[in-house]
Amino acid sequence: MAGTATQTIDRPARANLTGWLYVMPLAVVLVPFFVAPILVVLAASFFSTDGFGGLTPGFTLSNYAEILRSGLTLNLYLSTIKFTLLTLIFTLVIGFFVAYFLVFHVRNQLLAIGLFLLCTVPFWTSNIIRMISWIPLLGKEGLINDALLATGLIHQPLEVLLFSDLAVVIAYVHQLTIFMIVPIFNAMARIDKKLIEAAVDAGASRLDIMRLIVVPMAKNGIALGSIFVMSIVMGDFFVVKVMSGGGSASVVGAFYEDVGVLQYPTAAASAVLLTLILLALVSLILRTVDIRREITQ
Amino acid sequence: MSGATSDPRGGSIAGAQRAIAPRSGRPWTFYVLATLFALYVLALYGPMICIYILSFQDVRGGLVFPMKGHSLHWFVDLFTQVRTGDVKGSFDRSIKLAILVTILTVVISFLAGLGFRRRFAGDGVVFYMMIGSLVAPGLVLGLGTGLLFQALGIATSWYGSALGAQLSWTLPFGVLVMFAVMSRFDDAWEEAARDLGASRWQAIWLVIIPVLAPGLVAVALFGFTLSYDEFARSLQTAGSLNTLPLEIWSMTLNVTSPSLYALGTVTTIVSFIIIGASLGTIVMIQKRRGGHSPSSERSA
Amino acid sequence: MKIERGDIELAGVCKSFDGAANVVDGVNLRIADGAYCCFLGPSGCGKTTILRMIAGHEDPTAGEILIGGQNVVGLAPAARRTAMMFQSYALFPHLSVRENVAFALRVRGMSKAERLRAADAMLEKVRLTQFADRLPAQLSGGQQQRVALARAAITEPRVLLLDEPLSALDEQLRVQMRQELRRMQRELGITFIHVTHTQLEAIALADLVVVMEQGRIKQAGPAREVYAEPYDRYVAEFLGGQNVLSGRVEKVNGASFVLAPPAQGRIEVPLCARPSLSVGDRVDIAVRRDDVELIRPGRELPPGHASALPSRVLAIEYQGYFVKVMLDTVPDDHFVAYVPERVFFADPFNVGDMVLATWVADRARPLA
Repeated sequence: MAGTATQTIDRPARANLTGWLYVMPLAVVLVPFFVAPILVVLAASFFSTDGFGGLTPGFTLSNYAEILRSGLTLNLYLSTIKFTLLTLIFTLVIGFFVAYFLVFHVRNQLLAIGLFLLCTVPFWTSNIIRMISWIPLLGKEGLINDALLATGLIHQPLEVLLFSDLAVVIAYVHQLTIFMIVPIFNAMARIDKKLIEAAVDAGASRLDIMRLIVVPMAKNGIALGSIFVMSIVMGDFFVVKVMSGGGSASVVGAFYEDVGVLQYPTAAASAVLLTLILLALVSLILRTVDIRREITQ
Repeated sequence: MSGATSDPRGGSIAGAQRAIAPRSGRPWTFYVLATLFALYVLALYGPMICIYILSFQDVRGGLVFPMKGHSLHWFVDLFTQVRTGDVKGSFDRSIKLAILVTILTVVISFLAGLGFRRRFAGDGVVFYMMIGSLVAPGLVLGLGTGLLFQALGIATSWYGSALGAQLSWTLPFGVLVMFAVMSRFDDAWEEAARDLGASRWQAIWLVIIPVLAPGLVAVALFGFTLSYDEFARSLQTAGSLNTLPLEIWSMTLNVTSPSLYALGTVTTIVSFIIIGASLGTIVMIQKRRGGHSPSSERSA
Repeated sequence: MKIERGDIELAGVCKSFDGAANVVDGVNLRIADGAYCCFLGPSGCGKTTILRMIAGHEDPTAGEILIGGQNVVGLAPAARRTAMMFQSYALFPHLSVRENVAFALRVRGMSKAERLRAADAMLEKVRLTQFADRLPAQLSGGQQQRVALARAAITEPRVLLLDEPLSALDEQLRVQMRQELRRMQRELGITFIHVTHTQLEAIALADLVVVMEQGRIKQAGPAREVYAEPYDRYVAEFLGGQNVLSGRVEKVNGASFVLAPPAQGRIEVPLCARPSLSVGDRVDIAVRRDDVELIRPGRELPPGHASALPSRVLAIEYQGYFVKVMLDTVPDDHFVAYVPERVFFADPFNVGDMVLATWVADRARPLA
């Protein structure tokens, strides 16, 4: 009998077409509002300016030369990287143990979910407001200083609490720990309980279980959370600006300044540089986790 | 965010808990971790609560404690005084924009979620484009969009360029949530619908959308909130009229009275209403469904 | 009321997912209209793929599928007048039982009142009327299955396809639901195609048992034939109930030949099934487990028994109405005797005892 299944030849092509039809709206938004702007910034980094916001198309590497030669750039990156690392460490430690507590120590399922939601609620409120909400607490006349003075632990208000690097890190950690908690919580909740029971049977202590089972299996959640935290901190400008009182700088902060004075090409070059570095770091992390599988399961 | 109720591969996580936190008594680590958790929640909510309290500051009071009395003065100040900025207008615009963004995010994320179920040629391109849009610094994209519109001769506006810029931020989140939601969706439902004679669109409308309804509400929640609070990308794309976050930003730089705190309280109330409505809807839908889909049943 | 024929013919059906290996490898089969047909085989043998191809959820890479004489390859599932019952039942969680059953009618545009009435009528047939307003999550496994059945049957298909319908249920329920399926099939009078990996289920239900391995049909026939007269070693072992002995033909004398397995012992086996065998040929012999009798060494063989294999008892399992005795008759392979309970306990053996395994001579069969 002759084969009559001509439909099967078209099947893969049909599947491709269907897939594209479904994601077309997404692509239609992302191309003009993500791909194009990036390309524009890339192009602008090679242009020159008349100093008043006008861009003269051309091709010059002078913007990059300026950025790369400037000692300021190095300082900016060092400062940004410092904040990023500090934030990563604190959010990771706090996030990990909060998630661990919720998944493994809270017995009532409903309570665990309730507490989890409790942690996420602030995420849904304005992050600018949340940031400035530290000011009445950390200031010289703030609550914390008042409390410390009242208990006699210090005799003069601590100035370092506000408008300092400490304040910046506090604000970052406050805002971003949730980005660590959510993926790590997810990853931990998926651990097959039988593994843990088997480990207990084999005589493992709780520390062993954490070290040998929970941490490796939460690795993907940690990676995901790190990507979020890193990209937000490295791309931020207003937290640093406000909470350091102008004392510290960040790469995007300088970018913001440049844009403010209409120095578009140098701003663009700086942006491209930052994006490349960010991309490199994110790719490095992505090597350790199959992100597509992790997210879609 | 997937629920922690049960893990299809290994039953509930109660077993793991029993191993780590035995029923008889609590290990010392429980108390340490519980304290850490309590401190975390305190640190999370504490500052915000201070703001809420301070927004009721008396007329004579300043930006910090102590409270010199209570009054609603600063709320009134917020909505009436010109020098505190165009709060009503920007609030209005933010809500409208957020609603638009929400609708678009839900529709586009839903479709994309359906599309990514199976691999197709070039799906990696779209996937990484989405991740890139999530990771890229908002300010950079804002600049790029602003320059693009300038070059094209189109004016930036809160309902045009800002809409698109915000979508580039909300869509990756929406699609990520859809991924989590679709992983719980049994393809057999769609196949059963087709088997019974439903066309592709009937299957989507009558089966997929209703079953995924809670997930779609979650996407809507993300879309609304992310748009309502969006700042960096809107900064250069909103044009001459501010959205609320932009208004807050300029107030942060200029205003030195507790009316800023009053604004914080008001926006939080709006956020809480939205969250409450969304969660309430999800809980209601789940309750009516009576739990999980039929899987391995054991007795008659 | 059936209008069309539901007989099925598979002609040269092949399916490959990756272009390299064939999951279904040249299947030819005829299933009569109104028959209960079971596809039996281990996971990966292709049985579910064939089911899905008949349903229209997959297309064959080659070959034809005819239902009622009509080639259905390329037709959508609904256009084939077939209906499928999924392994997980796939009941729509957001619809009530009644709405689930009425779904097929809804997508065909039937009015609400009419389709709900039709659904109620169908629910009566499966005796679930009192659950009509419940949601699937509120039903037990057996009840969900009946809903799935009703939902599929309401479209008046000519063929109903069931993908491992009983594997999600526990033992007792499985046996109960088996009869429910059989009853429905008789009542509806349509062809049922039921995929399973449980041999007892297949032989209990089917008019036609199709045993598969790695994409090919090994044997297709009535249950009794497949169980009692397996075609080859694979079928014999998969269906269970048989011991298979390998060996070489030693002598061919008239009505029987003698066989010398790698183990010790010679057996006499009737020749009629394989007349073309000659001395030196390798052959497999099957003896039913319940045909094997165990006697103590030194006793006389009962009349009609020509062969006796000395064996040691390895293990004994009480199975209620029979006792399963495992012997070391064949090295590296199972040799099992099902001894009726009363017979066993009249003179029980212990593990380690030496016995003679013997049977009536013409109960042994050569295999292909």
